[in-house]
Amino acid sequence: MSGGDWTIDELVVAALARGFDDEIRAFNGAVSFVPVTALMLARATHAPGLTWVASSIAVDPYPPAIPESTLSDALWEGATMLQSSAFDFWPYAQNGRLNAFCFRGAQIDTFGNVNNTVIGPYAAPKIRLPGGGGMADLGCLCERVFIWSTTHNPRTFVERLDFRSGIGWGDGPGHREELGLAGGPELCVTNLAVLDFHPQSHRMRLRSVHPGVTVAQVQEATGFDLLVEGEIPETMAPSAEEIDLIRRLDPTAARKREFAAG
Amino acid sequence: MPAGASVGIGGLSLNVAPMAFCRELVRAGARDLELIAVVSGMSTDWLIAGGCVRRLIMGLTSFEGFGLAPNFRRAAEAGWIEVDEYSEHTLICALQAAAAGVPFMPTRAGLGTDMIALHPERTREMVDEHSGQRFVACAALQPDIAVIHVHEADILGNARMLPKMIWFDTELVKAAKRVIVTAERIVDTASFRAAPELTAFPAFAVDHVIHAPRGAWPTACWPEYPYDGEFYTAYQRAARDQQTFAELFAEHVGPLRLGAPETAA
Repeated sequence: MSGGDWTIDELVVAALARGFDDEIRAFNGAVSFVPVTALMLARATHAPGLTWVASSIAVDPYPPAIPESTLSDALWEGATMLQSSAFDFWPYAQNGRLNAFCFRGAQIDTFGNVNNTVIGPYAAPKIRLPGGGGMADLGCLCERVFIWSTTHNPRTFVERLDFRSGIGWGDGPGHREELGLAGGPELCVTNLAVLDFHPQSHRMRLRSVHPGVTVAQVQEATGFDLLVEGEIPETMAPSAEEIDLIRRLDPTAARKREFAAG
Repeated sequence: MPAGASVGIGGLSLNVAPMAFCRELVRAGARDLELIAVVSGMSTDWLIAGGCVRRLIMGLTSFEGFGLAPNFRRAAEAGWIEVDEYSEHTLICALQAAAAGVPFMPTRAGLGTDMIALHPERTREMVDEHSGQRFVACAALQPDIAVIHVHEADILGNARMLPKMIWFDTELVKAAKRVIVTAERIVDTASFRAAPELTAFPAFAVDHVIHAPRGAWPTACWPEYPYDGEFYTAYQRAARDQQTFAELFAEHVGPLRLGAPETAA
């Protein structure tokens, strides 16, 4: 699925980066190679005012490369502050000083709720996943939630989650308000398409399809009905400048791990 | 380490877990533990492979870029261990409630997820009658023992990380009934008096100190040594075959006792 001189991981990183603006004050959790690259790319291009707290620890770092863990010290070089404990970090995620988080899931539903806990019943799982970690927290606390997936297929994009590890738009319109939660998921970038959420129904809506992918293919790869409004454009391929930056910001191609792992 | 004890293990993912202590737990044949690990990987996987764990209370268990924790996954899928999953923050809140001596700690984290109903006796959705605001009440969770790894400690129990990176270890130390610190180096108390602003945990909060050079291996002890990526890779490769894995585990950790818990005689 590569075309020109970009690869799919670079397209996904660039598409996610375009969702970030100068008002983003993001932090990242574990196994977040794609968003970490995208945050650095956005900061280096159209969103220089963006804030990124690496590993939810290191404020505004400029690491020379991305290690095998996105919670690793190798990501903290050049930071202006290391937040040394949970007490340092969590209140900022709760009071809105930090406002953005990216997550993915083994399962994702139409409202952007995600599962990273179990496939099958909780007590007797078919597949025991690593766990939600901070997903359950940050889906609630962050006004701006971004979802990415490197496995756009009907096993990942499902009608019904086996377990809701993290909340997106919950049960649909009104649910977050009822729980007293602000904002919600804005964007979902996958290996096939870019999607957002309808402002009224909060259901996932197709925004663009990646070069070489058809609308029908995306719908076929999705286990629920996608909202498709009007002509669907092609996702803008990464520019030469973006490709060059991605390869320099992530010289060991840590981002590709997510695609290899599936 | 009494069978059935609840043990909080420090560290954060690939960073600074008390691995030497975990190895000794496996070698000593520790059994039936309730393990509390907020965001961990290798420490939890070793203790499960060593047959030490009955129940795991966790936020996330993963080797990140090195893949899923293989023994955690196998034991959970086979039903050999009970997995009690929290979100990261609700677990922190439960530890903070224990430290504060209050029945629960409120938070907005976790609202609207399945995580809350998973253990209704531990986390509950509630409404504040004055403001009408919804919150999750995280019942106090007090580990019997917390074990953390640091750069330096003295024989009295003063302990520090250089620099002071203590993450969830803070919550574990403050919540637990007893605290064990393993340290890269044992140093003079005078060096703590010379720089008291660097001390992370005071002697009165620490019950036991163990000298454990390279005691976080194969996790990182930043900035002194990085995680051992080659070991993570070799461990994952070995885990594909039970015999190969048993040999690797025996060489680096102890006897492999992965399987269904033994029934009491």
